Amino acid sequence: MFEAPVQRLIDELSRLPGIGQKSAQRLAFHVLHIEEEDARRLADAITSMREQVRLCARCFNVTDTEQCSICRDLRRDPAEVCVVERAQDIVVIERTQEFRGRYHVLGGAISPIEGIGPEQLRIQELVARIDDEGIKEIIAATNPTVEGDTTALYLARLLKPLGVKVTRLASGLPVGGDLDYADEITLGRALAGRLEL
Amino acid sequence: MPLRNDQGIVLRGFPFGEADRVVVLLSPNHGKVRAVAKGVRRTKSRFGGRLEPFTHVDLVLYEGRNLDTITQVSVIEAYPAVRGDLDRVLAAGTMVEVIDAVTQEEESSIRAFLLLRQGLAALDAGPRHPDLVAAFLLKAADVVGIAPALERCAGCGRRDGLTKFSLAAGGALCERDTASGAVALRPGLTTYLARLADSDLADLPEHDGVFSGEAMGVTRRFIEYHLDRGIKSLAIDA
Ligand SMILES: [Zn+2]
Ligand SMILES: [Zn+2]
Repeated sequence: MFEAPVQRLIDELSRLPGIGQKSAQRLAFHVLHIEEEDARRLADAITSMREQVRLCARCFNVTDTEQCSICRDLRRDPAEVCVVERAQDIVVIERTQEFRGRYHVLGGAISPIEGIGPEQLRIQELVARIDDEGIKEIIAATNPTVEGDTTALYLARLLKPLGVKVTRLASGLPVGGDLDYADEITLGRALAGRLEL
Repeated sequence: MPLRNDQGIVLRGFPFGEADRVVVLLSPNHGKVRAVAKGVRRTKSRFGGRLEPFTHVDLVLYEGRNLDTITQVSVIEAYPAVRGDLDRVLAAGTMVEVIDAVTQEEESSIRAFLLLRQGLAALDAGPRHPDLVAAFLLKAADVVGIAPALERCAGCGRRDGLTKFSLAAGGALCERDTASGAVALRPGLTTYLARLADSDLADLPEHDGVFSGEAMGVTRRFIEYHLDRGIKSLAIDA
């Protein structure tokens, strides 16, 4: 046990994902030795992020305005919507510069054993957007896990009868990797989703 | 180095630390095994998709103090079609959840293992038979010794006039036996259930639309009652 104020910070830090007791101690002692002004800036960054940031009213991306910058961008194609599990995934897809549509953040993936069914995700909100925005294609960019696959299949069953095309991100091989290093499941999927040249 | 070989079907996994995952497998000889797969959540992990649920794998494990660490994985059977169809992936989820609930660590579980393997193979082979999950649940109940009485009265052992069913009494009841909470069953339903319980999962009798839904309903309630827990995977309405 450390002095109460130090221990309090260690306890709070160790609740963060991926931070164990050891790392929390290291970070706490680091903060102890930085300039007081730097410590205050860190604390302020945390609290003002929580005060200012909210979820986009349309796509549930993280934003500091009513709608996120992607939803407000008139050059984005409203007919194509890329569905992701978490807001962080939008950043990753945006970095590819390959997608010109809008997004929808589900807030997770279907996982019965964790008690997450379709009702716990923002699926009704997605359905409501279809007519409103004239959505023609949904790209299911959920993770290539059983939960992500289940969610994509669920969306396909739900949305196809509404006349929406539902596609899934292809699973492929990591660019720059060796073929003989790939596992047979990834390779099998890559083969099933092969492209004509 | 304390290395050992094992095999198993992946039941589930959960994130561990920054990029690791704890994988829970069912091994035929060692029951439920928990092991750490280091770095598996990184896209470039050498484990790739091999440690996803429903995969039957061969493992090399490094024995640790608390948890074993997976050092090598090769796929014995991946059942790839299961994950391409909503009905099948949900059924596989139910199978795995039930097997997870009825098996223990460090306890031989050959029958549960074989049952799960047959269930996944049946799902992988083609579209889901409407009675497959009910048949699987009846067989799982048998594996753990809680199979419902279907061909004989759970009260007196009579073979005919089985018109009622009681969760608490342990299955079908004849009209002479009374148990609190016994409900009347559609005539023929116990016979239908008995046939499902006895059939090979890969070769189930042709399904009957009248009985199918009720067979699943009775089986589900029976299992949930005797395991004293709900089957969460069956709560997904798709
Ligand atoms: Zn938005
Ligand atoms: Zn009787």
